[in-house]
Amino acid sequence: MVKKAKKVVKKAVAEPDTSAAVMAKVRKSAKQITTSSTAEYFAKNLQQVGFSSPVKAVLTTVKEALDNSLDACEDAGILPEIKLYVEKLGPGTMKNTDQIRIMVEDNGPGIEPDDVAKVFGEYLASSKFGRGRCSRGQQGIGISAATTWAMQTTATGAQVVTKTKGARKAFRCVVDMDLKHNKGLLRDKSTIDWARPHGTSIEFKLDGRIQLNGEGGILNYIRSTVLLNPHMTLHYEISDVPAASIERVVNTVPVVPQATEPHPHTMKLGEFMSHARLFGRIKTSVWLKRGFSRVSDKTLNDLVTKKGLKKKVLDSFVDALPDADFKALFAAIQDVELLPPATTSVLSVGEDGLALSIRRLGDIDFFAVLSRKPVICDFKPVQVEVAIARLRERRGEDNEEQVQVLRFANRVPLQFDKAACAIVKALTSVNWRSYGLKQPRNALPLGPYIVAVSVVSPFIKFKNASKETIDASDELVEELRRALMQTGQRLSRYLSREHKADELEQRVQHIEQFGPILVDTLGRILGASEERKQLATAGLAKILEKDTKGMKKDLAAAEGRLASYLEEKKSRLAGFFEGLEQEDQASVVDSEAAAPTAKVSKGKR
Amino acid sequence: MAKSPQVTRRTAKKQSEIISLGTELCERMLADLERAKRPVLTATKCSLDNSLYNPKVGFLTPGSKKVSSELNVSSVKKMSRAIFMLEILLRNVEISNINTKRELYYVAKGLVKHESKLRPLDFQDQDESDSVIDFICEMMEAYREELNCVADDRGGQTYSKQLVVQETELDGNVSTIDLSTLGTAPYQPKNRPQNLVLSAREPIDFCLIIESQGTANTLVANGFTKRHKCILIGAQGVPSNAVRAWVRRIQEQLRVPLYFFGDLDAYTMQNIYRTLKAGSAASLIRNSDFCAPEVKFLGVLPEDIAKYDLVDYAVKESDLQEGRALKKARDALSNDPFFKDKKNKELKAILDWLVKNKRRCEQQSFISVDPRDPQMMEKIIIEKIKNGNYID
Repeated sequence: MVKKAKKVVKKAVAEPDTSAAVMAKVRKSAKQITTSSTAEYFAKNLQQVGFSSPVKAVLTTVKEALDNSLDACEDAGILPEIKLYVEKLGPGTMKNTDQIRIMVEDNGPGIEPDDVAKVFGEYLASSKFGRGRCSRGQQGIGISAATTWAMQTTATGAQVVTKTKGARKAFRCVVDMDLKHNKGLLRDKSTIDWARPHGTSIEFKLDGRIQLNGEGGILNYIRSTVLLNPHMTLHYEISDVPAASIERVVNTVPVVPQATEPHPHTMKLGEFMSHARLFGRIKTSVWLKRGFSRVSDKTLNDLVTKKGLKKKVLDSFVDALPDADFKALFAAIQDVELLPPATTSVLSVGEDGLALSIRRLGDIDFFAVLSRKPVICDFKPVQVEVAIARLRERRGEDNEEQVQVLRFANRVPLQFDKAACAIVKALTSVNWRSYGLKQPRNALPLGPYIVAVSVVSPFIKFKNASKETIDASDELVEELRRALMQTGQRLSRYLSREHKADELEQRVQHIEQFGPILVDTLGRILGASEERKQLATAGLAKILEKDTKGMKKDLAAAEGRLASYLEEKKSRLAGFFEGLEQEDQASVVDSEAAAPTAKVSKGKR
Repeated sequence: MAKSPQVTRRTAKKQSEIISLGTELCERMLADLERAKRPVLTATKCSLDNSLYNPKVGFLTPGSKKVSSELNVSSVKKMSRAIFMLEILLRNVEISNINTKRELYYVAKGLVKHESKLRPLDFQDQDESDSVIDFICEMMEAYREELNCVADDRGGQTYSKQLVVQETELDGNVSTIDLSTLGTAPYQPKNRPQNLVLSAREPIDFCLIIESQGTANTLVANGFTKRHKCILIGAQGVPSNAVRAWVRRIQEQLRVPLYFFGDLDAYTMQNIYRTLKAGSAASLIRNSDFCAPEVKFLGVLPEDIAKYDLVDYAVKESDLQEGRALKKARDALSNDPFFKDKKNKELKAILDWLVKNKRRCEQQSFISVDPRDPQMMEKIIIEKIKNGNYID
């Protein structure tokens, strides 16, 4: 831009007659360099945060509102009970869209009226940003983007009703956005009577299109959310789908672990120096021990004795430390040996919760669940959980479709950009054939299975701002692979027994089919008597009976392995079996620990 | 390599023999079943690793390797299908009915269609029924023609002004065909040339088998058979059973020198000429009647390229077909008992030369010696025969 201005000035010198006009142009172009607010940026780039199509606009809005509700309930220790309404109101203002009303209502702690504008009308206003916790929302972008989309497409803001505990009346208002200043504006404020003791309701009218089925469909999103939130009760009414309720299967609220202090090896120099400024006037040694995880007295000693850091750097006040000392300290601490970051900050659903929850996805034939211990991948704590279930209703159709993959990042379903995701890369790299599943080369396995994979970490590396794809780093993919392979081994106990039984049945059928034909044909060629044929038939049966003996033995062995696995599973998933016993003991015993039909109670509300 | 070069010349099986062989086999199987003993079907292994070559015999013969199939859960389907097909074939032999493999496939399909209990035997495609027929032939050590299963009459169009053929038909009728009365039309040998009796109206000097049917036609049209007392046959590529048995018939009944004239390339050498002269590994049990060990390789010979300044080509290994032929030639040099035998060292040398130099020269290139002379090819062929410029 400056170069361009210089060129224009040169031209002005060469042509003195028009110099005044040229100088005016230069001044004008200098004026064009402006700054924009965050809200203006996102308003122009909504596709980056999940609003790239009418279908995605609806799904992202539902997702952001539901995530906020779940996070709010968990933070307040409340078992979430959420209502979701999605309906078509008429044609939209944009081409090929409908006007959609989306409403999400929760029983969360409610929002103080003063905070409503920030929550729904301001970008990057978040209580969780950079805190290193495994919450669903992190940056405070999603719900504000939904408000922006509603304003842009229907010129309406977000209608909010909220009530905090103890308040007599609920606060109602419409939130608009002042994009220029990234501020929420409240209008039509009033207080109303609301039957709920506390909670929040958010409603948008926006242009979009409702997609119910398929990977990017709302119903798939609901199934996914239900799976990873066993403590949630959800009532939903979506377009033409009959209203339904999915009851919670766990009665405890997951406690999101507090964040641990940052690990020095995960920081850059600038971050390191900025971090110091948060602590005011304390000694450097104290700052290092308080402000970071895995820094001990021994570490401080090593910095001086092994890495040659001057002792006086550690004894100085951190706010007065010169840049050169900061650099020396940073270089030394990067070089010193430290324990890897702690894994206590990750939150898992747990095998019991997954086992109970997976039954809500449909008529499950059998399943295997696995919660890996938290590990460090790319210097960040990560926990991987996997649930694989076979759907009874789709079995036996010689199903050659790919398995249904449900991906989760911090318990939020990921529904787009599947191919580049770390989870899918790990899934396709596992040899599922060895566990009894069909799988084309370098592709997802086939069959009537749901494979749910959850990655939980306070610092998930997403590939884009809309958080649709987890970056496939080698360490994470390897951890995912291990989890998938372990789950595959558990699944193979069922499949191995089943394959052996199928094989035996096929062989018996084979004998029954071909045996009589062989004897009949031989008898016909030879003109043999009925007596001879009967004798031969009996002989043939004896011969082939011997052949199936070995297979029966194999089947018995596979059944034995499955039985001992089920015993082990019973003790491992004690919570799951207790839950089942309370619900329906008879069906559990009958199903060899497999799950009975999901109990999705349906009915018009 | 398999051992035991014990060879006995096989005589064609009569209908009654075939029927008794089939019923014996079935009797053995039924008796085994009655005693709850697993029946075993055994067949000669027809592959190169079970091929023997004895220059005194002159063709590839089977070694001692056998393929056995014992009745068990896995093989019960194969055995049921084999016995089902055997019943069809034996019935054909009994009533003197003839079918091609394709027709037998449809016969089997038809029987299955009309009898629901046979449905499990249904053949999905012809390959399945073909392999069952081949297995039966190998098991009974019978030619498929002896089981009245004949192939398409491909190749072997024959021209001669001296040859007389007497054919005994299945119903006993005898027909006599004097080839000199056919003008420029060829005589087409049938798939069962064993029923033919050959004689010559006057002494025949030689029999020339030409790889290309088109070239054979050209020579006849230009008066080759008028000028020479000979039999001229167009092989039409890889010789079919009919061609192989027909040439064998000529060798045995007329005792005339036989010459093969074809391209100089690896495919011709091992797939066409070797099959005509010594039979093939796939037809080990029938080579004794389906090859002519006395046939000589007239050319094109490698030295002909220089001698006649012939147009030749480089073989591109990147070409799928040519590349495959070269690979097969390399395999043949190390595994084929025909080329490994010292009697055929000159043929091996040609194959070596082809593999090493990667050149090929087509039979028609003789025309290029003097393109204005329509009899150029004929002159060179006769000159080569007279001068003994061929490989025995």
